[in-house]
Amino acid sequence: MSDTPPVVAVEGLTKRYGGQAVVDDLTFTLDRGQITGFLGPNGAGKSTTLRILLGLASPSGGTAHVLGLPFAELADPAGTVGAVLESGDFHPARSGRDHLRVLALAAGIDPVRVDEALETVELTGMGRRPVRTYSLGMRQRLGLAAALLGDPRLLVLDEPINGLDPAGVHWLRAFLRTYADEGGTVLVSSHVLAEVTQTVDRVLIINRGRLVTDQPIGDFAQDGSLENTYLALTTAATA
Amino acid sequence: MRRQLRSELTKLTTTPTLAVVLVALVGLAALAVTLHAVGLSTSRLATRPDQRGIFIDVAINLGALFAALLGALSITAEIRSGTIRPTFLATPRRGTVIRAKALSVFAAGVLVGLVATGTVAGVGWVALDLRGLTIRLTASDYAQLLAGGALGGGLLAVVGLAIGTVLRAQVPSLVTLFAWLLFVENLLMDLPKVHRFVPGALAQALAGANRDGALHTPGLAAALLAAYTVVTLAAATAATSRRDVA
Repeated sequence: MSDTPPVVAVEGLTKRYGGQAVVDDLTFTLDRGQITGFLGPNGAGKSTTLRILLGLASPSGGTAHVLGLPFAELADPAGTVGAVLESGDFHPARSGRDHLRVLALAAGIDPVRVDEALETVELTGMGRRPVRTYSLGMRQRLGLAAALLGDPRLLVLDEPINGLDPAGVHWLRAFLRTYADEGGTVLVSSHVLAEVTQTVDRVLIINRGRLVTDQPIGDFAQDGSLENTYLALTTAATA
Repeated sequence: MRRQLRSELTKLTTTPTLAVVLVALVGLAALAVTLHAVGLSTSRLATRPDQRGIFIDVAINLGALFAALLGALSITAEIRSGTIRPTFLATPRRGTVIRAKALSVFAAGVLVGLVATGTVAGVGWVALDLRGLTIRLTASDYAQLLAGGALGGGLLAVVGLAIGTVLRAQVPSLVTLFAWLLFVENLLMDLPKVHRFVPGALAQALAGANRDGALHTPGLAAALLAAYTVVTLAAATAATSRRDVA
C-alpha cells in the first residue's frame, strides 16, 4: 500500500449557490497514468467541480485535493497541474508567444519552455501574431500550450475538442495517450461521447451535481452503449 | 513576488493599451492647455499663480483620470478577456497577484503623470509664449509639477486598480472613476473644506496647487493619498481573496 496520495482526491464535495446545490456530495479519486472522462449535461456541475479543484472557487463542503493538497497550497501549481478551461482566455491583442511568456514569468518557468510548448502544439509559425487572428482550433492549441508550460503531472481539460478539426482531434487523442502512458494523469470533460469512447480509460458521469456512475470504458462496447447509458442515467436522475 | 511583478510588467508592455492611453493623453493635454492659453483673457494668464494654477489644473485632472483608468483596466481587462483564470492558476495566492499589479500600475501611473505634466508644461509654454506672455514659472515650480504629477499618477493608478478589483466589470469601473474624478469632485469644489481631501485635489496639492480647495502642504497631501491607496488596496485584496472566479 503506497503512502503517495492520489493525483486527485475529491471527497464529499459540495457547492451551493443560493440554496441550490450545484455539486452535491461528490467523491472520486484519480490515479497516475489514467485518462478519465468527466461527462454530464450542461449545468450538471462539471465546470464548478473543475474550478473548485483548481482553486478558482471555494467549496461549501467537502474537499478537492491534488496530490493531497488544495491547489492553492501546492508548492509548484503550474508544474503540477495544467488546465484549459475556456477556449478564449486570451487578450485579443497579445501574441500567443507573449501570452505564454507572461505565464512562464509568473510561474517561474524557464523561458525556453515557451517555444517548446508552441512547437508541441504546432503553433510556432503563429506565435508572434495577435490571438485575435487565431482560429478557434488555434486558440484551443494555445490553451493547451499554456497548460503544458510547466510540464505538469495532471492535465485538466474542459471541452478541449471543441473547435478542433479531425486532424486536431486525432493529434490530441494521440498526445493524451502518450502523456498518460508516460505517467501523466488526465481529467477531460466533454460532450462528444464518440470521442470520449476512443480516448479515455474511465468514465465519470455527473448529473445535477451528483456522481451517477464511475466505470472503466471497457464496460461500454464500441456500439454506442456509452451514449445509451449516459442518456439513461442523466434523464432517469431528473425524473 | 518578483516573478509576478515581471509577469505584470510584461502584461503592460505586450498589448497596445498603454501606448494608446499615452497617445490619447498627450493629445488631450496639448489640446486642453492650448485652449486655456488662447481662450482665456491675458489678465487671467499673466501672473505666476495664474499660470501655475492652469498648468496644474489641466495636467493633474487629465493625468489623475488616465492613471486611474489604466489601473482599473489592468484588472478589468483580465476579467473581461478571461486571462484572470490562467493568472490565478499560475499564481493561486491572489494577494500576490494584486500586490504585483499594484506595483506595476504604480510605475505605469508615474509614467502617465510625467507625460501629462510634461506635455502641459511644454505645450503650455509654447502657447503662452506665442501669445506674447512671459512665462513666470520657476524651475522649482516645474520640478514640483512633474514630481507631484508623477507621484499622484502612481497612487491614483493603484486606487483605480482597487476600484476595478472590487467592481470587476469594466464599464462600471471606468464610469465610476470618470463620474467621481470629473463630476463629483467638481461639484465638491463648492465645499472647499471637503474638496481638499478628495483624491483629485490631493493630487493637485502634490503638484503645488495653491487655491482654496487644496491643501497647501504637499507632504500631508502625499500621506493622505497614500493612505487612501493602502485602504482601497486592502479592501480589494480582501474582496478578491474570497471570491469565486467563474
